[in-house]
Amino acid sequence: MKLSCTLALAAAAFAAGACSSLETVQPWEKGYLAKPEMTFEGDRLENAYMEHIYFSKEAASGGAGAGGGGCGCN
Amino acid sequence: MAATDARNSHGALVGQAILAAAMTMPCLQQAARAESAPESALLSYKYLDYQESQPGEERIGVKAQAVSLLMPFAGAWSVQGSYTKDVVSGASPRFWTKGSASMRDTREAVDASVTRYFSHDTLTVGANFSDENDYRSKGFAISGTHATEDKNTTFNYGFAVSNDDITALGLEESKRKVDWAFGVTQTLTQTDIVQLMVTDVDGKGYYSDPYKFNDMRPDSRHQNTALLRWNHHFIGPGSTLRMSYRYYTDSWDVKAHTFGVEYFQPLPDGWTLTPSVRIYDQSAADFFVSEADFPGSGQYHSYDQRLSAFGAHTYGLRVSKTFENRWSVEVMYAKYLQRTGWRLFGEGSTGLDPFDASILQLGVSYRF
Repeated sequence: MKLSCTLALAAAAFAAGACSSLETVQPWEKGYLAKPEMTFEGDRLENAYMEHIYFSKEAASGGAGAGGGGCGCN
Repeated sequence: MAATDARNSHGALVGQAILAAAMTMPCLQQAARAESAPESALLSYKYLDYQESQPGEERIGVKAQAVSLLMPFAGAWSVQGSYTKDVVSGASPRFWTKGSASMRDTREAVDASVTRYFSHDTLTVGANFSDENDYRSKGFAISGTHATEDKNTTFNYGFAVSNDDITALGLEESKRKVDWAFGVTQTLTQTDIVQLMVTDVDGKGYYSDPYKFNDMRPDSRHQNTALLRWNHHFIGPGSTLRMSYRYYTDSWDVKAHTFGVEYFQPLPDGWTLTPSVRIYDQSAADFFVSEADFPGSGQYHSYDQRLSAFGAHTYGLRVSKTFENRWSVEVMYAKYLQRTGWRLFGEGSTGLDPFDASILQLGVSYRF
């Protein structure tokens, strides 16, 4: 867990630093941020297909969250 | 094993503490307001046609169909489920990029999750199951988000466990994984949002590939990633640039870098165009045996091309058309190219043929 603990602390520091040095975006200024293409989710089925393909052809995997099913493809 | 058990126990205790803290926060005790619940349901269908190619060899082809439903209910809840069926046929190499092991298999997978929305938090619980003739996977996951008062900063967390059973070629083996994920999403400006996610995956069990020649891998694998994503909206053209970088490292000594860029461009009459590029680099696992190192020495060894050192490019284009803000049709084509000479950081493994894959996705979705 050592590397992930270090990175988690870096993420928290990043957030703290970002919060303190950035101007607050007001609720009425979030129109562009609310667009679906500005989120990080993307198309669920397309992402699932592509992640499965990369999982079966490359050694690296994951990154966006915890979990996801395994397969005999790797 | 004792140190690993201690580490897993520590991780479980940390997870329980986080969930306990989340459950006692005042915002979760307030009456629910579904500010982030989806406004409408979404039913999606997507077809995949995937075909590999490698000089002089037959390779794998996959035809898959998937359906997904996302539905809000009771104001502060949503439920999501999906079903996928793959038909895989063709052949994969038995060692390096040589030999052929023909196969045909059907894989079915289902997943379902329920999300509760609070004023500044979400909590999602889900399960997944997949089955093919020689491999079965079961998993459970819990994840959540917590936003600050101004909702410009959101903390993300996730925990998952999975159990896989491998019955290929008469084996009775299994594999278990525990995943942790933590992240933070931060709005920077009216047109910029960034996210940093870190994950930790601890796996134990059977990792060797029984279809590969003399494949003997360690019975554990510890994986870590750090993923940084940045979305920027261009007000003038109404387009969005989506960028990402992932660093990956594991206990097999694989290190990988993944760079991704997508440019989403809305066009008149509900059309959109999204070109994309993905650049990938990986080092070899420490037990990968290249042609130069053959036959290799040591307790563990693999000739699996997928554990070699190589670079890979993916070039994609997605086109979609939305009708009356309800129906949406899309086509996505991508070309995947893997070459040992395309590494960004370090030398590629020798003696391996190029590997290509063509990926075509056709989808339709209905919002109601």
